[in-house]
Amino acid sequence: MTRPFLRRPEALLGGAILLALILIAGFAPLIAPGDPLAIAGRPLIPPFTDAGLPLGTDRLGRDLLAELIHGARTSVAVGLSAALVAVFAGMTVGTAAGFAGGAIEAALMRIVDAFQIVPGFLLALAFVSVAGPSLWVVVLAIALGAWTGPARLARARVLSLRESDFVAAAKVMGMSPAEIAFRQIMPLALPPVLAVASVIVAAAVLTEAALSFLGLGDPNSVTWGAMIAEGRNQLRSAAYLSIIPGIALVLTVISTYLVGEALTDSLTGRDKR
Amino acid sequence: MLATISRRGVLTGTAALLASTALPRLALAQGGGRLIVAADSEPRQLNPAIVASNGVFFISSKVIEPLAEASYDAGGLKPLLATGWEGSEDGLSITFTLREGVSWHDGTPFSSADVAFSAMEVWKPLQNIGRSLFANLEAVETPDPLTAIFRFSKPTPLQLIANALPVVSSVLPKHVYEGSDIVENPANRALIGTGPFKWGDYRPGEYYLLTRNDSYWGEGLPHLDDIVFRVLPDRAAAASSLEAGEVHLAAFSSVPLADLDRIAKVPGLSVVTKGYEALTYQLIVEINHRTEELSNLKVRQAIAHAIDKDFVLDTIFLGYAEKATGPVPANDPTFYTPDVTTYPFDIAAAKALLDEAGYPEGPGGTRFSLRLLPAPYFAETRQFGDYLRQALAAIGIDAQIVPHDAAGHIKAVYTDHAFDLAIAPTVFRADPAISTTILVRSGQPDGVPFSNQGGYANPELDALIDEALVTLDRDKRVALYKDFQRMVTADLPLINVADWSFTSVVADSVTGVATNPRWVVSNWAETGLSE
Repeated sequence: MTRPFLRRPEALLGGAILLALILIAGFAPLIAPGDPLAIAGRPLIPPFTDAGLPLGTDRLGRDLLAELIHGARTSVAVGLSAALVAVFAGMTVGTAAGFAGGAIEAALMRIVDAFQIVPGFLLALAFVSVAGPSLWVVVLAIALGAWTGPARLARARVLSLRESDFVAAAKVMGMSPAEIAFRQIMPLALPPVLAVASVIVAAAVLTEAALSFLGLGDPNSVTWGAMIAEGRNQLRSAAYLSIIPGIALVLTVISTYLVGEALTDSLTGRDKR
Repeated sequence: MLATISRRGVLTGTAALLASTALPRLALAQGGGRLIVAADSEPRQLNPAIVASNGVFFISSKVIEPLAEASYDAGGLKPLLATGWEGSEDGLSITFTLREGVSWHDGTPFSSADVAFSAMEVWKPLQNIGRSLFANLEAVETPDPLTAIFRFSKPTPLQLIANALPVVSSVLPKHVYEGSDIVENPANRALIGTGPFKWGDYRPGEYYLLTRNDSYWGEGLPHLDDIVFRVLPDRAAAASSLEAGEVHLAAFSSVPLADLDRIAKVPGLSVVTKGYEALTYQLIVEINHRTEELSNLKVRQAIAHAIDKDFVLDTIFLGYAEKATGPVPANDPTFYTPDVTTYPFDIAAAKALLDEAGYPEGPGGTRFSLRLLPAPYFAETRQFGDYLRQALAAIGIDAQIVPHDAAGHIKAVYTDHAFDLAIAPTVFRADPAISTTILVRSGQPDGVPFSNQGGYANPELDALIDEALVTLDRDKRVALYKDFQRMVTADLPLINVADWSFTSVVADSVTGVATNPRWVVSNWAETGLSE
């Protein structure tokens, strides 16, 4: 018997952290008003020593807490946007391939293969190096390596759905093939893809952090990856500069993953117990 | 020193991994005096006569020698391949007397023909600095094997050429390069010179090996058997290699400034700031005068007032730098003058200047937006970019950082002029005419890096620069360059923020450290290892 999503403990834990994160990201300008990169105090104040700057300051004297809060904004924005773009692109290509069949399917799926054999991170790295780092380029770069999963899933689902009676009925009613594919079949192929989406979000958050760590993030917005990279030079003398954003990153990825697992289990009826 | 940031970022991990496994045999065999040095970049072009830059000198100066080296002694120069130099009254010729008994690493004797060939075929047409410095060089006469007479078409001050000798005068062997494509010659990789060390081996991503030149002209020199430059692009790796005793020396601040306090307390290691006096880097804000707002002097003055130099020194350079007052650093013994216009940190004054200039605060406190391009070569230039963005925000200028890798930055600023403000690490090389006046002189062709590409043109300043270039009288020349500093600080074609130098971390067993003001890029003949 499959338990509903909300009765799973891992879903509650992951969901709670994720919800908190999304709230923090959404209300960042209210929680930490002003420019998070503004110089707020003496440089390198250790955490928990100054009530006004609870997490201390970095090398330039910027408030670590404000950076962390606004960094959540970037992570959430990039994670969700990249997943959205990847799912949308993947669904479209996968549905088209699955429904059309024949040469079109072969051509589309070879394109999917071509993208899939290149490691996603390398693809993102190359894309950002060429296009120049800005938030939307980063989103696109991550989606570029992530859309193939949804495409394959959607195609597999559409392959079985297109033989259904309701498709035949739609044909009889005189609906155009595109209408059948995208209005009748695609919505039904969505659930398994949605379950993968949360994994894409987690991967996107990590990829964005890794890109920023290598100096390929948007320098005008705060990102956790860039914070870790900044702190790395002081790893031996002020390790907290890297550890604090590192913990935030770990929590985000774990909570997304937990929610994703729970979502997959309840959507597909799979249950470990 | 110029590694592309993206490339460096990608390579850091792999190279550190490689370096950690490389050289186990070499690192152990230290008995005969093998100095192991951390190298943070791998220059593609190693020929110092073509690319006169510190990243190249760091390795190649041990193999290929200049005519003279910088010195702490009075006069500032120590003879190497030249034992004397004399200028004529009219300033149209300089006569070099060359050292006797010097031979190339392949056994061929060194002669004035090599100097003439290097000057006419390499320094003047090919070298980044020599191209402008030797623009008026017409011919080099060689009446005998130990005399070279440089003939100039316009009066050329001996002081200028002498100051430039350590940087521009690396002599190449004529018999190796003659008749070949000099830029593509294989000897640019496997160097052949007259220096105390011979070219040994190079493994990309691992190490450079230089071995002792047993027939070096210096009596009893060099002390070391060989030098290994271990490629360690990761700054944290350099620090831990020093602590583990795997590396004797990390130069050019390859140990992060933030780590120096800790490293200084490690027994057996010392932090040395000496030996870089002639390698002063200048942190400057380059200004694109084509941008309407920035063509207004009041706006430039406001930006100068908005920069808190004390903050920059304390937090970005952690005290390892000096405040800059103008285009000549204060540690220059000859040309520097403190008698210039200064811009103390004053936000209210900066705001008032912007109001006067006709740029009132708009909604949200923003007056106008600018593109800011920090040079990606140094951690300090990038951090100053982050700081400057905040400093400008405080006076209502919204600066958006545009990131580039090293090649992209050079192209964007110096060829495409796609910037409003840029942050550059320029080098002061003992004389303003070598690489400083080019930063403000108008009429530079597009694409010349570290030159005036901001569209600034001031006929009065140009005339002053041109006059100083052909002024032979020492005192008059110095006075003209003092006027130059006053004019630059008054009209702000660029803003000088700080003058900084580097630090070395050296194991106590290394002797003969920092013996001249360009020590890390000199020949290390007198450097040794004690037990």
